[in-house]
Amino acid sequence: MMPRWRDVLLEQIRIVGLSLRREALIVGAVLGAGTLLIVSELLAGGPGFDSRETFPTALFSFLIPFAMWRNDKPFGPAFLWTLPVDRRRLALAKVFAGGLWTMAMVGVFISWLFLLALLAHAPALQIVLRVPVIATAATYLFGSAMMLGLRHPLRWLLGAAGVMFLLNNLNLMEAYERFRQPLPILWLGLGLAALWAAASRHKETR
Amino acid sequence: MTAFAVATHGLSMRYGKQAALSAVDLRIPEGAVYVLIGANGAGKSTMMKVLLNLERPDAGRAEVFGLDTRSQGPQVRAQVGYMPESHEHAYAWITCERLIRHVARNYPAWDHEYAAQLIRIFGVRPDRKVGTLSKGENRRLQFILALAHRPPLLLLDEPTDGLDPVVRNRTLAHLAEHLADTPTTVVIATHHIHEVESLADRVGVLSAGRLVAQMSRDELRRTVLRYRVEVPEGWEAPPELRIASLRRSPGGREAQWTLAGEERDVTARLAAAGATVRDVTPLALEEAALAFLAGEEK
Repeated sequence: MMPRWRDVLLEQIRIVGLSLRREALIVGAVLGAGTLLIVSELLAGGPGFDSRETFPTALFSFLIPFAMWRNDKPFGPAFLWTLPVDRRRLALAKVFAGGLWTMAMVGVFISWLFLLALLAHAPALQIVLRVPVIATAATYLFGSAMMLGLRHPLRWLLGAAGVMFLLNNLNLMEAYERFRQPLPILWLGLGLAALWAAASRHKETR
Repeated sequence: MTAFAVATHGLSMRYGKQAALSAVDLRIPEGAVYVLIGANGAGKSTMMKVLLNLERPDAGRAEVFGLDTRSQGPQVRAQVGYMPESHEHAYAWITCERLIRHVARNYPAWDHEYAAQLIRIFGVRPDRKVGTLSKGENRRLQFILALAHRPPLLLLDEPTDGLDPVVRNRTLAHLAEHLADTPTTVVIATHHIHEVESLADRVGVLSAGRLVAQMSRDELRRTVLRYRVEVPEGWEAPPELRIASLRRSPGGREAQWTLAGEERDVTARLAAAGATVRDVTPLALEEAALAFLAGEEK
């Protein structure tokens, strides 16, 4: 008897949610501390918000897959692979579950931002629209693709950081930014393609 | 025709230059309790992982209840209760109860009533975090996860490892009860043969990835015997006996041999070679298996 796909997916959503409790607590703590700072600044007569603020949600979502897969190493006899579900489908179900929780956390962040902006009489909608939602989803997909597709994702991550450092030193960062910025949807598509390719490394038959 | 729960055909696998499995042809009949014996690194755990499609062989194929393990991995895993060699569970951050519920949701055949009974029998506290369990407690939890969906095939990798003698006996007694209630084929990989001797009805001996012996317990008892023989001075064993000999105790004109083969044939061959058989004794399962392993090491 095989498990129903719906049951597998729902259970992955539940169990991944539990595994991300620590990360959710960190987000909660950061938002709590931010609330205190901003409210105290507002009470002191300050603006509360700096219009040049950038929101690091894309970096946060890129790191989430590293937390999600730390106990289920994809390139080994992971517990996940002992379940009676097609491995690629199971990997994608787990990524979907993680994506759902990541976007839920981003949703909480946006709601928090919106409420505080209203409180500060700042242009709430404008501020909220600056949250890079598509880039956040894309970096989550790339992070997941790295975890599923690479045997040593941390080494690749360090390598990528080294490349960025070099680009910065060689004054090529501007060219990189020009290449990166205009097409977030394209990055989302590339992220999905990378994820599919990475998950396919774990197909039952190769 | 015998129906095989597990059959492998020329299964070979390497880890780098090291051969983990070499052309293994395992045949495990349905309903058997098959004890896979071998030293550490002999390939026992690798064999189990290949059967679950956790590892992919370089050559050959494996079938579980006629299902190809590579192309029908999920269907195979749905019929298997697996206890891995490792004591530590990956999901150390959840409670035992939540882990049991997680596994249950992935096995439609999960028997909740039986799971509750197993929790009582094995004395697992559902509210404990998996990461705080001792080696033995983790092993007991793994037993619950493997048995509670009443799978037709159990793959138990060093199942008694980490259990104290009292719990070990209780666990094996419960396993015997489970087998009496539920038609199950069991594969037990171990190097503690004496612990599972009472359950075993078939034996396979793996040595450095090669399956050097595979037979029923009765066949093993009948064909692997210790011969006490008297030999003339300066006597040299004939080549055919050297091959059959698994173990020889040196000692003057009297020698003890552990030999594989039908008793009548072996006695005749010894007599033809000039030796007089004084005594023939059967061996315990562990002694016989060790004789095969010692024979391989020679």
